[in-house]
Amino acid sequence: MNESSIRSLGLKVVVAASNDENHPPENMIDGNANTFWMSTGMFPQEFIIRFAEMTNVSSVTLDSYNVKHLKVEKNTSENASHFEFVEEKELKLTEGQLQTNSISLGGSNATHLRFIITSGYDHFVAVHKIDAAASSLVV
Amino acid sequence: MVRLRARCLMVGDPAVGKSALSQMFHSDGTLFQKNYSMTTGVELLIKSVNIPESGDSVELYIIDSAGKESLVEANEKMWGVPSLLCLVFDLASERSFGSCARWMERVRTHCKGLQVPGVLVGNKCDLSARREVPTSVAQEWAQSQGLEYHETSAKEMEKCDAPLLSLARAFHALYQERREAIQNLSPG
Ligand SMILES: Nc1nc2c(ncn2[C@@H]2O[C@H](COP(=O)(O)OP(=O)(O)OP(=O)(O)O)[C@@H](O)[C@H]2O)c(=O)[nH]1
Ligand SMILES: [Mg+2]
Repeated sequence: MNESSIRSLGLKVVVAASNDENHPPENMIDGNANTFWMSTGMFPQEFIIRFAEMTNVSSVTLDSYNVKHLKVEKNTSENASHFEFVEEKELKLTEGQLQTNSISLGGSNATHLRFIITSGYDHFVAVHKIDAAASSLVV
Repeated sequence: MVRLRARCLMVGDPAVGKSALSQMFHSDGTLFQKNYSMTTGVELLIKSVNIPESGDSVELYIIDSAGKESLVEANEKMWGVPSLLCLVFDLASERSFGSCARWMERVRTHCKGLQVPGVLVGNKCDLSARREVPTSVAQEWAQSQGLEYHETSAKEMEKCDAPLLSLARAFHALYQERREAIQNLSPG
């Protein structure tokens, strides 16, 4: 199995509320856990990431803060629409340090992943880093 | 530049002036409904507030809900998780002040453990001859609940923007505080 990091998978954030110019969504995929995207009030919050091509995703890893409940959806189309549910998870509260969670996607083929944060431990949540483990590129 | 969004819940007994205050705020003081029209459902008013000297703004999603007891249960389902609370009573009605504790309890069950900045508003301060609730009593109770106290008159346009402006500022301050805390986190 060929594990590749998200950067070489050509990942892009295609849709996300970006309301604090100092903490844009791109901070989630810059490979740096010190920079972050921050939500700016109310739930749900969502963002969509896109792979350069159809990818078989075994899991995603998320470094975050104050996220309580997270849903992951995927699609296999060119556009960021028609998503289907893949997995959801209740994250633990970690005071004073980041939450690190790995979410198994069981080798789903995907072009886009949509993350929906349905609730938080605070009004504002942050995501510092997203990483995906891909078993292979689908040819 | 930061654009925040906050869900602000307006609650309190019937006819205390929740809709009047919401509409005055939303219309920049141009719309005062003299005739009482009871709110039966949940009305949403959206208004953006600029935070002075920051370039930032807070978009308030004002949820104006019915005060009538028999309608509350159905309306509560549409409250969602509030970011901010505006609890209103009528200064000329001791009874409406007495209900505030019950409203607080009800709202708390929707807050999911979040710290929700709130204000207590004694409205209709223009009816001074009919006043039943002294400022000091309301002030003291507000303080015991962690609420900031305001007196307003939607009718006379007396300070009627102050409560919601203050809530917008409180939300902005909370954001800055939280962002600072997150910046200082150690990686997990
Ligand atoms: N004198 C005076 N009357 C007011 C003031 N604010 C509102 N009113 C009047 O009080 C009545 C009730 O006001 P509303 O804003 O509809 O009250 P509400 O709290 O929304 O009532 P519900 O929708 O039934 O829960 C209306 O006739 C308003 O014109 C005020 O500051 N002074
Ligand atoms: Mg009303």
